[in-house]
Amino acid sequence: MLVSYNWIKEYLGDVAPTATAVVALLGAHAFEIESVVEKAGDTIFDVDVLPNRSSDCLCQRGIAREVATLTGLPLVHDPLTIAPALVTTDVISVTIEDEAACPRFTASLIEGIVVKESPPWLQDRLAALGQRSINNIVDATNYVMYAIGQPLHAYDAEKFPQVDGKWQFGVRRATAGEVVSLIAESGKTDDRDVVLKGTELLIVDNTSNTPIGLAGVKGGRFAGVSSATTKIIVEAAHFDPVLTRQTARGLGIVIDASKRFENEPSRELPLIAQSQINKLIIDIAGGESKGMIDIFLAKKLPPTVMVRQDRVNALLGLSLTKNEMTDLLLRAGITVVENKNVFACTGPFERTDLLIEADFIEEIGRMYGYDKVLAVVPEAVPLKEINERHYYSEKIRYSLINLGFSEVITSSFIKKDQIELFNALANDKRYVRSSLIENLAETLNKNSSFIDLLGMQAVRVFEIGTVFNKLATGIEERVMVGIGVRQAAHGYTQKDDQALAVIAEQLSDILNTKITLTPKQGLVEFDLTALLTTLPMPTTYEPVPVAAEIVYQAFSVFPAISRDVAMWVGGDVEVSVVSTVLEAAAGPLRVRTTHLDTFEKDGRISLAFRLVFQANDRTMTDDELTPVMVAVYDAVKKAGFEAR
Amino acid sequence: MQSGHQHPLTKMIAEINSIFSEIGFVFADGPEAETEVYNFDRLNVPKNHPARDMQDTFWFKSSDVSEPTVLRTHTSPVQARYMEVNEPPIRVIVPGKVFRNEATDATHEAQFHQLEGLYVDKGVHMGHLKGTIEHFFSQFFSGEVEVRFRPSFFPFVEPGVEVDMMLKGSKSKLADKWIEVMGAGMVHPEVLKGSGIDPEIYSGFAFGMGIDRLAVMKYGINDVRDLYTGDLRFVNQF
Repeated sequence: MLVSYNWIKEYLGDVAPTATAVVALLGAHAFEIESVVEKAGDTIFDVDVLPNRSSDCLCQRGIAREVATLTGLPLVHDPLTIAPALVTTDVISVTIEDEAACPRFTASLIEGIVVKESPPWLQDRLAALGQRSINNIVDATNYVMYAIGQPLHAYDAEKFPQVDGKWQFGVRRATAGEVVSLIAESGKTDDRDVVLKGTELLIVDNTSNTPIGLAGVKGGRFAGVSSATTKIIVEAAHFDPVLTRQTARGLGIVIDASKRFENEPSRELPLIAQSQINKLIIDIAGGESKGMIDIFLAKKLPPTVMVRQDRVNALLGLSLTKNEMTDLLLRAGITVVENKNVFACTGPFERTDLLIEADFIEEIGRMYGYDKVLAVVPEAVPLKEINERHYYSEKIRYSLINLGFSEVITSSFIKKDQIELFNALANDKRYVRSSLIENLAETLNKNSSFIDLLGMQAVRVFEIGTVFNKLATGIEERVMVGIGVRQAAHGYTQKDDQALAVIAEQLSDILNTKITLTPKQGLVEFDLTALLTTLPMPTTYEPVPVAAEIVYQAFSVFPAISRDVAMWVGGDVEVSVVSTVLEAAAGPLRVRTTHLDTFEKDGRISLAFRLVFQANDRTMTDDELTPVMVAVYDAVKKAGFEAR
Repeated sequence: MQSGHQHPLTKMIAEINSIFSEIGFVFADGPEAETEVYNFDRLNVPKNHPARDMQDTFWFKSSDVSEPTVLRTHTSPVQARYMEVNEPPIRVIVPGKVFRNEATDATHEAQFHQLEGLYVDKGVHMGHLKGTIEHFFSQFFSGEVEVRFRPSFFPFVEPGVEVDMMLKGSKSKLADKWIEVMGAGMVHPEVLKGSGIDPEIYSGFAFGMGIDRLAVMKYGINDVRDLYTGDLRFVNQF
């Protein structure tokens, strides 16, 4: 949420910390600051308000209050402490059918206003938060929402039918198939007709039962304020957070108002908002306040919670004194009544998040500073159990690695299989896999073109991973071990299955149990979950091999090209000497040299090498390699070898 | 025969287990296809709570399952499963695959690995959390590590913190700067209660971090998606 430093300074007064200090304080004790931007003489912070504080801190006053809590200096101007002073009117009526969904509804009448441009200060305030100015009335409702977190809505009273001398509001659930016309969302030009499911809460014109707004989510087209409007009704209400959220998410309308309603702002706010909006509108649009109706069916104030002093220190790992705790709680606006080492704590009304002892302990901890929590490593205790699956996975893993296999982890998602996800991410990831084979087949195909590049004799891979099968009783998960071999770059040969048969014997020896594998197309998998039931329970983990320091290099995604070079050399030439000669001549695009073979004939030694070339930024061409290979052969000749 | 190469994730999981098992943390695991109850409700994340927005979830079709089931969005459900059948003192780690239904890029993949840690006993406090994390990172990165907490929110802990670490005086690129590494906190009393543990007697800490992110830190991997492509140009570097 964007926060204007100039705006919160209005509440903090001259003792406001600098913008830099605000960032440091909030960052260490309250919220992460995503960005800080200097803009038109102001500093704008993007504050990542935590979900539990979205009830009181999705507004400028909330952030100012948080800063005041952290500095210990009270707000010089707190809009939430201003006593509302509006008389009651009987020209507006409100009928609420669902008390739980709408425990409070207020509406006030202001007459004689002039709709026009907002004054520059108001336009600036909204612009600071990236909001476009519309007119003084709409801007005023937005201003109060951004200031204290209570959304409001203004109606043109003359377009709102008055029956029996009353403007009659109703709040009721929608009926299935009912349609409500909503004002265009910001950034969109067209109004929108929405067909409702019947669970949504509506504000209606009770005289005709016409929906005029989707409660908590979006105002309707009904009785919209225009430049000709002179008489308005302003609504400020409280709607059930869960219901608001369901409606907003269900319709894909997530706007500033719904975001606030769904986080349960205080039920005390609508009245305070009315007091402020009336004052503000009269200031900037003229007119006169004609009173208000306040239907408050269910009050909900923060609970009083017992907070044990010893529990505070026990959970935080601190040794705070009683006075230190009290001081911190009071700074947060919490009422504290002490009795025998227990505090009876009540949060200020806007803190709807302070519900249990741990919530208050967190307040103390974060305000005091987690930096003062000393690190204590728990004393080592003997291990209670060995994870059999991990133990045997490791055993199989290291065995296969020793046998030349590299480990892969492939996607659990697959194009087609038994179990389809309800909400897949992509068309080729619609199912979860029931086998490792398909992914490993693809792994063999993909890697067979890297045999030269990686200097492998064959592609040998394995994966130990979970698969999902559909049973009558639901989904069954198993851990499988999948193994694949591809010895010829062009594809499967029978030799691959033979190689896997040998692996089965080797694994049988290592695990001391008969493992039967039936390889097909150079691929095979076996069920580790089932195998575990037959293996003895391990009593201790084997030591983890000491890993060498690895610095990863991003690899080139472009194809590699190979060239073979063979030559006769004198009897006593080392392979490494020849490699050095070749590499010096082959230049920087050579990425690998593989010694292919050595043989002796008629007293002469033949050596053959494969040079692999690859660029980081392009696909190399054969033409490009021609001069390189000329240089390589020249070097061979110069070194006294005879190319063959 | 040339030796094969180990995938960096399993290499790290083995190291993680080795560090934690030395101080008595058991390697626990649980299903990847997890019920809604364990993935959310038992972790104090009720239906329609804004906290569910923090995690985009893959759901199974109701015709395939007997109760609402998801691909687990975190390893935290194993906390509840383990606490249900074990008495404190409890020390567990849960390294495992998790899933999020979100667009992928070089730092996000729809599947990734997480490491969960849980310690429940009499008198467990935030100092133990800090100490355990510091101990782990200093072993894992072979150097002196400092850890700091910043306030955060996760429904299954209270207080909740974001954990930053700093590797001190090393030659590594990571050295001498704060790096955000995980979320953590003291286990929420409702979570303890829900698993049959009395929060009046016991307290505990829990933490969760991305192992893929650890791979980025430890090895300098530039695209986490490479971990799951089966590409040996990647794996054979390890």
